[in-house]
Amino acid sequence: MGFRIDTVLSHTPIGARSLVNRVSAAAGYAFRGLRELILDLSSFSAADFLVYAKYSLLVWGCIARVVIRRGPIGFIHELIRYPWMLHLLRATALMRRFARGRSGLYLESMCMVVHSVAELLSELLEDLFYHRDRLIITEEMVPPDIARAMGLKVWMLEAMGILLPMMTPEFCLKYIDEAENAGVNPDACSLPKATMGMVMKGHMPDGLALVSSNMPCDAGMASYSYIQRAYKLPTYRLDVPNNFTNDRAERLFSEDLKGMIAFLEEHTPGRMDWNELKRICEGRNRMLDLELELWDMIRLRPAPLAAEAVILSHMWHFNLFAGHPKSVRHYERLVEMARKNLEEGRPATEKERFRTVLWNPPFPHFVDIFNKAERLFGVTLINDSMTYNHHTPIDTSSPETMLKGLSMVIMQGPMVRHTRGPADNYLDDIFRMVRQFDLDMVWVANHVGCKSGQAMNGILRELCRERKIPLLVLDYDLLDPRIASRDSMMRQLEFFMENVMKVDRLEARRTG
Amino acid sequence: MKTADRKALKVFQELLENPVNRLVEQAAGDGRIPLGYSCSFVPEPLLMADRLFPVRLHATGIAGTEIADNYLSSLVCSYTRSILEFAFDDRYDLLQGWVFVPSCAHMQRLQDNLEYLKKPGFVHTIDVPRKVSEATLDWMEEELHMLSDRLASHFQVDMGPDSLDKAIASWNEYAETVKAVGELRKRPDPPLTGTEFHAMLMASLASPKDLIMPEIRAFRDEVEQQGDITGHRARLMVVGGHLHDPDFIRVIESQGGLVVADRFCTGSIPGLMPVETNGRGPVRALAEHAFRKTLCPRMMEDFDRRLQSVIDIVREYNVDGVVIEVIKFCDLWGVDSMPLVTALRDKGIPVLKLEREYRLGGEGQLRTRVQAFLESMGR
Repeated sequence: MGFRIDTVLSHTPIGARSLVNRVSAAAGYAFRGLRELILDLSSFSAADFLVYAKYSLLVWGCIARVVIRRGPIGFIHELIRYPWMLHLLRATALMRRFARGRSGLYLESMCMVVHSVAELLSELLEDLFYHRDRLIITEEMVPPDIARAMGLKVWMLEAMGILLPMMTPEFCLKYIDEAENAGVNPDACSLPKATMGMVMKGHMPDGLALVSSNMPCDAGMASYSYIQRAYKLPTYRLDVPNNFTNDRAERLFSEDLKGMIAFLEEHTPGRMDWNELKRICEGRNRMLDLELELWDMIRLRPAPLAAEAVILSHMWHFNLFAGHPKSVRHYERLVEMARKNLEEGRPATEKERFRTVLWNPPFPHFVDIFNKAERLFGVTLINDSMTYNHHTPIDTSSPETMLKGLSMVIMQGPMVRHTRGPADNYLDDIFRMVRQFDLDMVWVANHVGCKSGQAMNGILRELCRERKIPLLVLDYDLLDPRIASRDSMMRQLEFFMENVMKVDRLEARRTG
Repeated sequence: MKTADRKALKVFQELLENPVNRLVEQAAGDGRIPLGYSCSFVPEPLLMADRLFPVRLHATGIAGTEIADNYLSSLVCSYTRSILEFAFDDRYDLLQGWVFVPSCAHMQRLQDNLEYLKKPGFVHTIDVPRKVSEATLDWMEEELHMLSDRLASHFQVDMGPDSLDKAIASWNEYAETVKAVGELRKRPDPPLTGTEFHAMLMASLASPKDLIMPEIRAFRDEVEQQGDITGHRARLMVVGGHLHDPDFIRVIESQGGLVVADRFCTGSIPGLMPVETNGRGPVRALAEHAFRKTLCPRMMEDFDRRLQSVIDIVREYNVDGVVIEVIKFCDLWGVDSMPLVTALRDKGIPVLKLEREYRLGGEGQLRTRVQAFLESMGR
């Protein structure tokens, strides 16, 4: 019988959460991971076996490197400070979920994404351990490019709330409860609730300054009223105009970015290095080129790569590490894989019958739903709204043009673009994607806490009906599986496929 | 609690029975142009220029929001759903234009759905920034100029500086009059209840100011002639977002808690501070005024100001306890009220946080909670 990390951590009284408990939990996880690895490997072909084993070892190598570098005593000290790190031991379980039923370069792309997450996450953890004297705290929609160009290290408060439920679906529950018990409205989005809960429990690092914004939603923005008071840090808030598609908005927001730079120079040792920003922006531009090339290839039916390889890559690399050499390399490898599949006439999956887009935030606590949809019904996720950007490459000829370019990246970025301005900003992108990627259906991730998205479903339903586009509005909560369980989400999917799309299953559904 | 039966109050209650009341009909019949708006950041004086007049969108008396729920979903604030439902019922058809602020996601999507479903002839969005600086003040001024230009060309009205100065003077007179009535509540035994004051204020927001001013003056005279309210158990302040139905305050007061201060979207504090022109042009003055007189959690950097305003009002109006009312699903107030409640309790101020729907419901439950709150204060 394996140990369950959430059981161990949640049911042990705080005072008794001793080192022994934590180590035994870790050992239990290591044992469980090993058992799962053996089970997974037995289902692969020899070549896939080697790929999977290679990336599993690479992921464990990333974890081992962090532990060894910090030293066992130091690492245990950090673990006590940041208990959520224990969940990172499940990274290979995430890889297992992505890899199941997939093969060849498609499988490798999945493994590579998980490895790239682990590799860059280890860098983030090292920032926590060794660079607290240069660490700033930011909100999720504040791109770290500028702070990094100033020689600062960035900790995005919401990042773990999104990432860790992918490994342990129940990860956020105790943090959500903490925030609700403190008086936050239960109907607010679970991401700001989880983030506030992590801050309340003292599980987030300290920093020199705080940068937040009015993005992406009311609850996220309002949560920083509390977070600022909890941290007692000097705070700068970026303000994206509602109507952002004009020169006025670009000018106003560029000035806002300059204000942020001046603020960071005043409150941190960071100093603006425009050459470094140029290097980062050029890296970002290169990633954008590669992503567009990837999109051009996945437009074709059947797609040479798809699903998490496309969407998780964007979520992690563009939002947290844009311009990072490892992120650029990651996208180069993705494009190489897609091109190779295309040249050899090999689809990502032989099962592709339907192509879909996911609109609104994904399902961190049920991250393998796309894998299941692919295996059960032949539905391939081609792209998602969080990946679908609209900005042009950044002009790196001067500091002014770089700031202008970055302001467009932020304003035209996912969620910002779709939660602002007229409804057309939201709707037009969906129908444009349907045309661009030759889609058969649209999935809306109907997060109960996202009022902006909820209030668009009525219009979207009518417009999809007019255009004869099948629409699945999948009810769920971003981080809280108690609101909509994995089973209820699967039932919604099955009901849609069987009753609306009227298709049979390709294979029987199994739990787990 | 001993209260008076006032003649003028009945007038205000009658004016609130319909979202487009008889004074609006009368003004529209005289060739004037009613414009609906839903947020306190919309500067009323700008909508009072020439033949224009503002009507605060309300849906008092709404019974259900079944049709609006299909579009906005039942997980969006019931104020916006109620407005959309009434719009479906053509209850706002006399309005010739709508002015919105994307003050929150709900309000923004109300506008989106309204435009999609009803396609009104004139809809305008004022893009109000969420923090205040010289740059955002300039932006706000430009936004108001854009609205002003559109109003001038669409309705053929005079939006020039003289016309706006006249509208500002007229609004200032209205604000001073209502504010003076509100300040009577600072007395140890005020001559009016919170219910009466709110009925007057809401009726004035939903009517042409010039036509309702005689009623307000009559009410003021009546209040001054009659005796004080005595026998209340505690003096309360209500804080929060949209609160339109005076009956909500009536229920609170039925338990002996006299509401003496109203620091919510449609309240008088600090919403009725006069517009100061200072020679910088009427539009700039209105831009500055909009930021100064509105204390909304959508403003990212204003938490301390919001908190301090509550503390100041508690002292100024000798308030015993604060009731924070939050419409269900309102993220701005729902999240922001958490640190607000904590900070007020840290200051020794008793706080009751009430989650409510736009229309008054669960009256018994509300009574019990207020009663328990008063008892917890030892009243």
